[in-house]
Order: sequence, then structure tokens, then C-alpha cells
Amino acid sequence: MTTSTSARAESADAGDAPVLAARTRGLRKVYGHTVAVDRVDLEVPQGAVLGMLGPNGSGKTTTIRMLLGLVRPTEGEVELLGKALPDGAAAALPHVGALVEGPGFHPFLSGRENLRRVAAFEPLLATGSIKQAVEDALERVGLASAAHRRYRGYSLGMKQRLGLAAALLVERKLIVLDEPTNGLDPAGTREVRNVIADLRNGSTTVVVSSHLLSEIEATCTHVAVLHRGTVVAQGGLTELLQAESSALLVVTPEWLEALNVLRDGRISARATDDGLRVELIGTTPPAVLETLVKAGIPVWEARRQRTGLEELFARLTEAEETDEGLSAVDTIEEKA
Amino acid sequence: MGTLVASRAPLGRQLRSELRWIVRRPRTVIGLSALCLVPVLAGIGLWFAVDGDGAAGPGLAAIVSGNGLVLPIFTLFLALPLLLPLVGAIWAADGLAGESQHGTLRGLLISPVGRLRLLAIKSFGVATMTLFAVTLIAFVGAIVGAVLFGGQGLLTLSGNTLPFLDALGRILLTIVLVTIQVWGVAAIALAISACTEHPLVVMAATMAGVIVSGVLGLFSALDWLQPYLITSGWNGLIDVMRDPLPTEQLWNSTALAGCYILIGLSLAAMRLATKDS
Repeated sequence: MTTSTSARAESADAGDAPVLAARTRGLRKVYGHTVAVDRVDLEVPQGAVLGMLGPNGSGKTTTIRMLLGLVRPTEGEVELLGKALPDGAAAALPHVGALVEGPGFHPFLSGRENLRRVAAFEPLLATGSIKQAVEDALERVGLASAAHRRYRGYSLGMKQRLGLAAALLVERKLIVLDEPTNGLDPAGTREVRNVIADLRNGSTTVVVSSHLLSEIEATCTHVAVLHRGTVVAQGGLTELLQAESSALLVVTPEWLEALNVLRDGRISARATDDGLRVELIGTTPPAVLETLVKAGIPVWEARRQRTGLEELFARLTEAEETDEGLSAVDTIEEKA
Repeated sequence: MGTLVASRAPLGRQLRSELRWIVRRPRTVIGLSALCLVPVLAGIGLWFAVDGDGAAGPGLAAIVSGNGLVLPIFTLFLALPLLLPLVGAIWAADGLAGESQHGTLRGLLISPVGRLRLLAIKSFGVATMTLFAVTLIAFVGAIVGAVLFGGQGLLTLSGNTLPFLDALGRILLTIVLVTIQVWGVAAIALAISACTEHPLVVMAATMAGVIVSGVLGLFSALDWLQPYLITSGWNGLIDVMRDPLPTEQLWNSTALAGCYILIGLSLAAMRLATKDS
């Protein structure tokens, strides 16, 4: 088993391009007549915590399943830890831990027995170290005291923890968690967050899918937003949010007038419930205000708008609902 | 990351884990216990038939008296048409469809275990357990038979009595032949198991196949089909009770079961290789 430090040394040798823990190119999956995933080019930088966001049915799980070699893509390529799937699966997958589509265990076995069975199939675990690895993983997810109980009697949260424990059995290079906090209470959610933080500090790359935006915002360094089976945005969390935060919210009673004035000044803006949202693309707040005031528009209030992930997500997924080709100006006319 | 090399968990460890998993299932324990009852019930039934002054009377009594070693063979033939295919189908169903249903197949594949290797592990599990089940029935049958009727020898259909050691040889031969027949059915069940995530479908389909095959064997108009029906070979297995041992039918039915094993495992491998899970 190569250590993470040697992997890092190699990444330094690789030079210019950032080393990717996983990458997909032109991924497409068709079930019968349904296109589940299309043109997915996902890049997971090494050491990142990538949050996959998307409404239900947006293709998150299908993408993850293809990433892990569980599902064969109709088209496209998957590269996992530098190995092309499916041929490289035997080399890459031992270093990958995953919790996909909820925890899967046998109800008649105890939590410990279930983990031992999973451990028996882990290539990187020496036979002699299985028992200890299982106990460590149980301890790590807080299941040690319930390990002897049958999986049948576990609560949803305990099942989820056991699934997490299976992913953590071996020291991994990449961990993929599909909706890891499903069914967990707030304390459990916080623990998962801590586990993810630990992994990141240990330079493990993490891919986590969730519909809980606050969770992604709190734990992730990178985001990929999926919508209708394709990636509509991806990149560093801070960069994405910064790019989005360049907007000015202007409150004025004569908003229709203001929109026209701004449009003449070639400044894009749109009406929202809170006021006019002016995009600061190629312009500055003073210039926007000057334009408005010179035209005699009463400005009651103007403030810089900080976008949260939630708004970014809503905008990305709702924009698609109407039409991808709509420009900001067109949107204004529609509203007016 | 170019240094990553393919690695696999030791095969022995995986096989042990698989057996352990099957044996730990409550239904395995219950099923095996139930199978033990078959020779016991058959022995008691026979004992009453001999003991009473009924119609079976002296004829049957003469056959079984002192011939307790007939019982294991008799019981295996009794269990072969339905009971043994059923337990084989149950283990095959749990092996792939059951794992798929519980979401544990995903975990195994991500470990990773190669798909062909997974099929090998599953086949090993089913094969070992069916061999064990058949042996268990024969073992319990031999003990019950010896206790109730005495175990000196084995009266053959040809009229002579085989001495103890030869009788034991015939019992072992029956165990092997019957096990191979059950493997034939179980291999087909594994192929079905690779196609679904409902263990019940596997059991129902397998048993339906066995029953339909048995019924088809009854029509003389379908005589051309006989050589291809695994169930039709089962009647010929009674040859183990003859002396000297006629081998032709035994070979034929064993070869046919071998073909079923080959076909079943090939279909399962093909399905598993491309299966989305």
C-alpha cells in the first residue's frame, strides 16, 4: 500500500495539471429510453472534499455508481486514482471506500459480523489485522457498544454509521459517500462532518453527495452541481461563490424605470422580491448608483449581495427549468 | 498514483467468509435440521410397515431386515426430486439475488472482488453446502437404518447382498452422484440468481423448471426430449442398487448434469460480467 506522502510526491512530479483523484469524461448512461446521465465531465482534485449537489433524480447516484465501476457507462470514460475503469478497478478500488445508495448489510448478522465479512474481502487488510480494523472502524463511528446487536434491530442512523464504518475499514485515498447523513439526527450529522474533516486533514480525497446545502457548504472545498443528468457548474466552493457574489441589490420604488435605465447603460439586472439585483459584470457599485441617480431614480437602499450556496444552487437549477439560452436581459423583459 | 497495483484479498479467506456467512443464516440451520428428519421419518415409516402384520408383511420385512444400509440410499432418492433441488436453489438464490437485494453485492464489488471470482466464490459456497446436505442425509440415514434394521449389509435389486464395506462404497457413490445432480440444478439457479434481485423468483423459477421437466418426462410423445432433461436421468440412478454395477446410465446422467453445470455457470458469468449493480 502506497502512503499518501508518496502519492503527493508523485503529484508534484506531474507538474502543471492538478492531479485528479477521479475524473470522468463525456459520461453517459441510458436505461432503456431514459437518459439518466449525459455529458458528465467531473473532476475531483486530489485532497479535495467535493460536494455533489443536485435535486432528486439529477444523476448523482448514477454518476457515483459509474465512478466506482458498479455501472457500465453507455459512453464516456472513468478514471479512478489515475487508473482507467473497468480495467484498472483491481488496482484502484482497494484504495477507495464507499457508501452508495444507503448502507447494505445482512439483517441476521451483528454489526461486527457484517463488518468482518466486508473486511474479509478487503485486499489491503492483512488477515491478522481484520479484527482490530473492525473494532477501530466501529469505534470511529460510535457503534462500539452496539456492535454485538443484530443489524436487523439497528435504527436508520445506526445503519448509516455502519455503512460509514465499512468505508473507513482501511486507510483510503478516496472516499465516496452518497447521502451520508440520511436518517441521522443533528448529533450524528455533526459527527459525519467531523469524520469528513478528519479525512481531509489526513489528505484523503472525499466525494460526498447530498441534498443538504448547508452541509456541503460547511464541509466541502469543491462543488459540482448536477441537474437533469449533467454537471451545470463545478469548481472550488469559494471561487464559485465569489463569482456569484458580484451583485448589488438596489431597492427603489421605481424599479421598472430603473431597469430600463440600467439596460440603456448596458448593465444587466433583474427584479427580485427584495429589489433589483444588479450584476456587477464590467461595472462597479458607484457606477451603477451614478447611472441611477443621474436618471432621477430614487434609491432607497443599496447593498452588496453575498450569495450563499443555496442561492447559487437555486439559480443554476432553476435557470435550466426555463431555458438555458435566456440572457439576463431577456429575463428582465419577461418579468416586466 | 501510477504505483497502484492490482491486489486481491486471499481466496481462502474469501471462501471461509462465504461459508461462514451461509452457515450463520438461520434458514440454513433450519433447512439442514429439516433434512435430517427425512431419513428419520422414512426409517420410522418403514419400521412400522415391517413391524405391523399389514399387507407389506413378510416380503418387505425380508428386504429391510438386516439391510439398514438401504435406508440412506432410499432416502437420497426420496429427497432428490424436490427437497434437494429446493435447498440448492435457496443457497443459489441467497448467493447473488439475496446479496443484491440487501445491497451487499455492491459492497463486495467495490472491495473489489472480480466478478468472475465472485461467481467462483458463490459456486463454491453452494457446491459445498449441497455436498454437505447430501452427506448429512446419508449419514443420518445410515445411523437410523443400522439402529432400526441392523447394518450388516445391503440387499441389491439383483437379489444378492453386498457385504458391509461394499455397501458403504455404494452409499458414497450415491452421495457423489446425487450431489452432482443437485449441482446441475443449482448452477441453473445461480444463473437465474444473477439476473434478479428477488431470491423468491430464483426459487420459484428453479422449482417450476424441475417440476415441468419432470412432467415432460412422462409423455412418450416427447421421448426425443428425454436425453436433455436432467430429471429424466434421475430415475436411472437406481442402478447403484444393482450388482454388478451397470455404469452406462450412471455415466449418462452424470454427464448430463455436468452439461447443466457448465451451461448454468457460463450463463451466470455472462450476466454478472455486464450487470449494473
